[in-house]
Amino acid sequence: MVGGTADVRLGAACVVAAALTGCSGRGTPELAGDLGGALLPAAVARPDFTLTTVGGESFDFRTRTAGRLTLLFFGYTHCPDVCPATMANLGAVLRGLSTTERALIDAVFVTTDPERDSPAVLGPWLAHFEPNLIGLVGSAEALREAQIAAGVGVAARQDTPGGGYAVSHAAQVLVYSPDDSAHLSYPFGTRQAQWAVDLPKLLERWKGPVR
Amino acid sequence: MTWWCSATGVPWVWAWRPYPGVWLFLAVLGFLFYRFGRSGPESARHFGLGLFLLWIALDYPLGALGGYLAAAHTGQFMLIALAAPPLLLLGLRPRIAEWGSSLSGGQGRWLRFLAHPGPAFIGYNLIMLVTHVPLVVDGLMTSQVGSFAIDFLWLLSGCLLYWPVVAPAPFWRIGPPVQMGYLFVQTIPATLPAAFLVFSSYPLYSLYELAPRVTAALTPRYDHQVAGLMMKTVGDPVVWVTMAVIFFHWANRERREDLARVSGAARPTTG
Repeated sequence: MVGGTADVRLGAACVVAAALTGCSGRGTPELAGDLGGALLPAAVARPDFTLTTVGGESFDFRTRTAGRLTLLFFGYTHCPDVCPATMANLGAVLRGLSTTERALIDAVFVTTDPERDSPAVLGPWLAHFEPNLIGLVGSAEALREAQIAAGVGVAARQDTPGGGYAVSHAAQVLVYSPDDSAHLSYPFGTRQAQWAVDLPKLLERWKGPVR
Repeated sequence: MTWWCSATGVPWVWAWRPYPGVWLFLAVLGFLFYRFGRSGPESARHFGLGLFLLWIALDYPLGALGGYLAAAHTGQFMLIALAAPPLLLLGLRPRIAEWGSSLSGGQGRWLRFLAHPGPAFIGYNLIMLVTHVPLVVDGLMTSQVGSFAIDFLWLLSGCLLYWPVVAPAPFWRIGPPVQMGYLFVQTIPATLPAAFLVFSSYPLYSLYELAPRVTAALTPRYDHQVAGLMMKTVGDPVVWVTMAVIFFHWANRERREDLARVSGAARPTTG
């Protein structure tokens, strides 16, 4: 990530999104204070957007992940810092879960760099971290809509010296529970040890259907 | 101004950058040696090689990589604490031997005290273990002063480690067989941080876990494991080389003495 407006805008976006969707009071699961994630000011409805998987099939996020514990992250493969660190940490812990536990979680990575992140680029990049991560690509407009729907700051391209560019994007991992709302987000800097403690707890509380 | 390598959190790029603090530090050591410690070409060669190893450890790229990869940080440790100190001490050895008789009582007592395996063992391992505690590494490595402190402590610990085996006659406390045993025992405590690095389920150092990746192939977990393996598979052999040098010096000396005895006994007596 370059820059950092996304985190600042997240809180406001969450409140707005919650107000628009009226999701905050709908079957909110019990939240204990022993999780490492940050409690969102208000629950955010599972966003409704449709993108394309790295395998080329259409992926309706709300329908395909409905009722399941879902981790959602926006980033890009050329990201020099936040994305590889976040995906490496998350991937390492997901790999350490049992097959049964892993089958209960959807971990979704949505690119914020449609120009460079083709399915052929994003697929192997994600597989390097964990083979079952779901990578989504789409047009610039569709990706923008997805970020707005998820209530995160919309990524912005920033030119860098030498003719390249970086993408400023949200750095947190949003966690959706089986009530189809996000109540927690994990900021950049969440360590593997924290994920390893929290994922089983999240599963225990918010276990959804096995896929 | 970046004068000393530290962890910056800035994405890694393979582009040279200057670290004037490193050059100044090495220049000061070189000047002090030239002014006060020089004693013939062999001592200059030893000290110069020690300075060269320090330069490799502290300057770009290894010094800079030490802020991104635990493996590079370990490489620095091995050069600064294990490889350079015996050479620096060997360079100073003749002059320290000359000073031996002229040193004041207090200074001489300290050097004699530190040449004893006990204080050297405790001093080296205390520094080695403390500077590998995650809280210390994560806390100090993010600032240039903190990073310098770690590097300086490593150099000091290396001097403590090797002083009992390099100390010249006025301070000499243990013979070659005990020196070799002492060095072997010194390699044992490092097994503790090495084992934690290799076998820990998750990365120990948040600094290296969350640092921008230098290469996608080296995930934080692998990086920590490589660092732990290096401590034992590279670090220990560095000490074993010193043990081998001590052994061959000792064996040669014994052989020369035996030859001298034999030739003395075979000489015909007259009168």
